[in-house]
Amino acid sequence: MTIIEKNINNFSIVSLRGILNASSAPQLKTHFEQSPENQPVVIDLEQVDFLDSSGLGVLVGIARKKKAASAVFKLANLNERVKKVFEITQAYTLFDIYDDLAAAACE
Amino acid sequence: MKTIIITKGIEYRWLRDIFPGRHPLLVTLCNKPFIEFLIDFCILAGSTGIRIISDEVMSDVEKHCENGSRWGVEISYANLLPTDNVQKVIEKNSRFCSNERVMVINGLLFIHYDKRSDYRSFFASLPVGEVIECSNGNISLTGAASGAEHQEGAPPLSLPVVDGIDKYYRLAAGILHERLTHYVLPGYNNEPDCFIGRNVVLQKGVSVIKPVIIGNNVQILAGSIIGPGAIIGSNVIIDRESRVSESIVMDNTFIGEQLDVDRKIAEGSLLIDPESGCSLTMEDPHLLSGIKQPTTTGSALQWLAHRIAAAWMIMILLVPYLVIKPFLEWSGLLKTKKIVYHSVIPGENVSLTFASIEKKSVLGTIALFLSLDRFTWLFKVLNGHFALIGCRPVRTDQTIQAANNNLGLYRPGVFSYSEAEKWPENDIDSDIVDHYYAVHSNFIKDISMTQKALFNRINQESSI
Repeated sequence: MTIIEKNINNFSIVSLRGILNASSAPQLKTHFEQSPENQPVVIDLEQVDFLDSSGLGVLVGIARKKKAASAVFKLANLNERVKKVFEITQAYTLFDIYDDLAAAACE
Repeated sequence: MKTIIITKGIEYRWLRDIFPGRHPLLVTLCNKPFIEFLIDFCILAGSTGIRIISDEVMSDVEKHCENGSRWGVEISYANLLPTDNVQKVIEKNSRFCSNERVMVINGLLFIHYDKRSDYRSFFASLPVGEVIECSNGNISLTGAASGAEHQEGAPPLSLPVVDGIDKYYRLAAGILHERLTHYVLPGYNNEPDCFIGRNVVLQKGVSVIKPVIIGNNVQILAGSIIGPGAIIGSNVIIDRESRVSESIVMDNTFIGEQLDVDRKIAEGSLLIDPESGCSLTMEDPHLLSGIKQPTTTGSALQWLAHRIAAAWMIMILLVPYLVIKPFLEWSGLLKTKKIVYHSVIPGENVSLTFASIEKKSVLGTIALFLSLDRFTWLFKVLNGHFALIGCRPVRTDQTIQAANNNLGLYRPGVFSYSEAEKWPENDIDSDIVDHYYAVHSNFIKDISMTQKALFNRINQESSI
């Protein structure tokens, strides 16, 4: 999985590309462990080809840490495959989900 | 123009309670699902794209409406948080809205409209803001008006409040008696006040008195009288010499012979008096009962694999269980209590011995290593009440989430998928994992997940 990070409006935009599963989840976890906990973050999931329960677990863990640090954490651009997983698992109840990256990266 | 339809679970809880087997947006009114009335209205108002947004699972709605090609519009779906207001929803769906005029239908609304009127130019000409409201919700517009002028007067538009079974019944009766021509309703309509679906068999001596709506795949046996004011759903059998008048018979219902159903709603084995709200469940299937739909056999192999694996585990663990259990009981490391859980078979319960073993001694460690606390549960896999691995079982004093039940996500297991994954920290996390694998599992994956669950349990300090 490729992780590309850039900054827009003081938000850290993390774009994921590839497969987010048990083998790539630790990579994402490590990436966020290295960044400040109170940094507002938007994760762009448009290019994620596959997401499994371990991948969801990492996203839930990051969301929990951001909430504890009172930092903004949003998901954006969920493609149909990813959206399906969020729907089935009802994980959408834990996240702020936007259909547009620019809208998500606004205060 | 585009339309956003926002529905929140709390608004239609009453519909879930009365018609538990289906998503509230798919509950039929005059044999037409609720959501289809909304889609028709959106199209009349000039919408080319519709986004249905809910804080609950919408798989059933998505399966029914698909991408909207049936109506010639683009239908998409999104989720929201229960705390989100309209402004937040528009913000979250800004790509869909894309600076166009957007009609927001906020709430589970039934809209009184007339298909013969011009709503397109009416909505195009209205200024931004609320168009109409009722206690169930409102319709509002965002985005600049197109500048088009609406020549005629305002077309008929009202929002009747539908928040109970009595109002649902009155609404259906009102459409049947006064507004049949206002909506596109399913069925052949060769003469006024009469809609008849496909594959309807009327036996000798059947009388049909208008106004009446009959769905698809209906058998009305000899000597029955249907109507006036009857709405008969699809897949319904009305046995001989019965009479149905001013009543609604929902889909998949059997009405027994020589019954007189007047001013009632029949849903499966449930008979509801809409005026008082009282309902009666018929125990005698010859009087009133639900018609079961054939189930898919896709999971048969999975169930067979679970049973074989459970039988194998019973054979392996029987001797250790018989030898170790008395010692654990004697030393006080094993505590048991009976708990009744919901079975995988709808409507059935299963009583299980919940055993907790503490890992304080060598025997306790061995017992946990072998998962002997779950040994007696394995027999429930053989009789089909439990899966070997599935979601965590729900006690009968707790309610299975309606959405999960409808989607077949409730498949309790001796071991749970969340035990096989290491990340869940609380019940919500465990639900996410259980739901994920309930949909994505197969018998090979189930065996590997069972092994993982068994392995993870070794590290537990106790089985509590």
